[in-house]
Amino acid sequence: MKGKVLIVPCSGIGKSLGSVAREGSYAVTEELCPDRTRLMPLALLVLGEKETRTELSSAAAITIDGCVKACAAKVVEGAGGTVVHALQVLDVCRRHPNVKPSRISELDNNGHKLARALAEEVRVLVDSIQEEVPHA
Amino acid sequence: MPEVNLKVTVDKFTFQIPKGLSYSDAGLWVKLEGARARVGLSDFAQQSSGDVAFTKIKPVGTALDRGDELGEIETVKVNVSFPSPVKGKIVEINPSLEETAELVNQDLYGKGWLTVIELADWESDQRGLLDARSYSALVKDQAEAEMKK
Amino acid sequence: MPELPKSKVGIIACSGEEIPEGTITRLAALKVLESLRPHETVTICLPLFLAGGEGDRAFARLHPTIAVDGCEKRCAARGTETYSGKPAVSIVVNERASTDDSGLGSARKLSKAGMQVVNDIADQIAHDVDQLLDLKQNRRRGPQVEGSESRNESKSRHAPCSCGSEIPTLTLQIAGREVTLIALPLLFAQFRRAGKSPNDATKFELMRAVRVYNSISNADETSYEEAIMQEYSAFCARSH
Repeated sequence: MKGKVLIVPCSGIGKSLGSVAREGSYAVTEELCPDRTRLMPLALLVLGEKETRTELSSAAAITIDGCVKACAAKVVEGAGGTVVHALQVLDVCRRHPNVKPSRISELDNNGHKLARALAEEVRVLVDSIQEEVPHA
Repeated sequence: MPEVNLKVTVDKFTFQIPKGLSYSDAGLWVKLEGARARVGLSDFAQQSSGDVAFTKIKPVGTALDRGDELGEIETVKVNVSFPSPVKGKIVEINPSLEETAELVNQDLYGKGWLTVIELADWESDQRGLLDARSYSALVKDQAEAEMKK
Repeated sequence: MPELPKSKVGIIACSGEEIPEGTITRLAALKVLESLRPHETVTICLPLFLAGGEGDRAFARLHPTIAVDGCEKRCAARGTETYSGKPAVSIVVNERASTDDSGLGSARKLSKAGMQVVNDIADQIAHDVDQLLDLKQNRRRGPQVEGSESRNESKSRHAPCSCGSEIPTLTLQIAGREVTLIALPLLFAQFRRAGKSPNDATKFELMRAVRVYNSISNADETSYEEAIMQEYSAFCARSH
């Protein structure tokens, strides 16, 4: 699948993993895959704007949720998007058990490490969606 | 899944407390199944602990007194250990939690059970447990205290 | 008869990721929730709210809310209105920020000026929280409603609450249709106890209080005022 992949974080405000989802999304769209991805704010989907819906319906989306309620995945699907991968930050947490973030408003060291680990996983998923071989 | 009956709401949080189960004040529910008890985490306990990443229950065959450590859950926020609500021997541990620990949050009174214990002294255990109504009063106090922190 | 829900204000921030103002809403809301007014406020998670979180939606229906948006799209305010009711206060950061976009830093990392705007918006939110709660607390002195007689034009009922208790409602005939207003019997009781006669000053206060629990468009305001004041006058006459 060609075209930019949409990255949709939940940015949930009640938990530290919501902030990790947010920071991880920035790392993907600004550093790791800036030309191949675009960050789509979840809040925009509430407006039901034609432009947003058109973009959503014609692109692959990776949602990143900070908790098991999986709001980003649900909202994107409800808005007519195609969620190719629904990531849970909690699963990334499980793969890095000694890295536990503790704050919401400003990520601590662990939060940044986790966000980075998340971003790397998303990069691999973007590669697989776009069928590109990662650079050495 | 037991029929949900009582609910406690504090701010935007609602805690479901099914009738027909007993509860320890540490936040575990207990369902009598003949000579055994199925044990899990109550709604208040799972909501205040956060999303569960791992569960670590004592191995099958472990003999416990009421109050002995039954196991631990690890969430993003905390590691919480729980005292056993009953006296007996662990005969089963929920195998699903190895891969999908989030069942403890999502289906806590159903598929998210933690362990099954063969009972040694249910009559005595029962006296130390709360019914749904008493437990909901406790949850209300605990939840309000939590909000004030 | 239950009392009005305990005084707290829900804060719902857009947290928009594309512009620094979105990040400002998030940090300002968190500052209020964590340090400025931790016991008086509750966070409403916008993604959960949009995805169908009933706890958050129910809370926003029964408590005053403050929507904090980064830009004129007002996603948080519109989402709140769609699923629960009009927010009591709607703040839009780019209408208040005195620094232009580039001065605020990036959405990912705010500048010093951006952090100052965070502090300013947080202070504004805290002030609005105080205003809203002051309104509620002044009205909380009063006896519980003994019971209102049902009339042809008004029906007293209870709004279901997710806690299992019930908030009294009153259904009035307004501009030819039936409208159910949440918490009206309790507000009447509290105003009556405070000795407020049905006059223009009371009308202003009462309408402000009613708006905290019910969404009323500007176009309908006059007809709502008339119906509510008529009902309040009748309530006062019955209470003598």
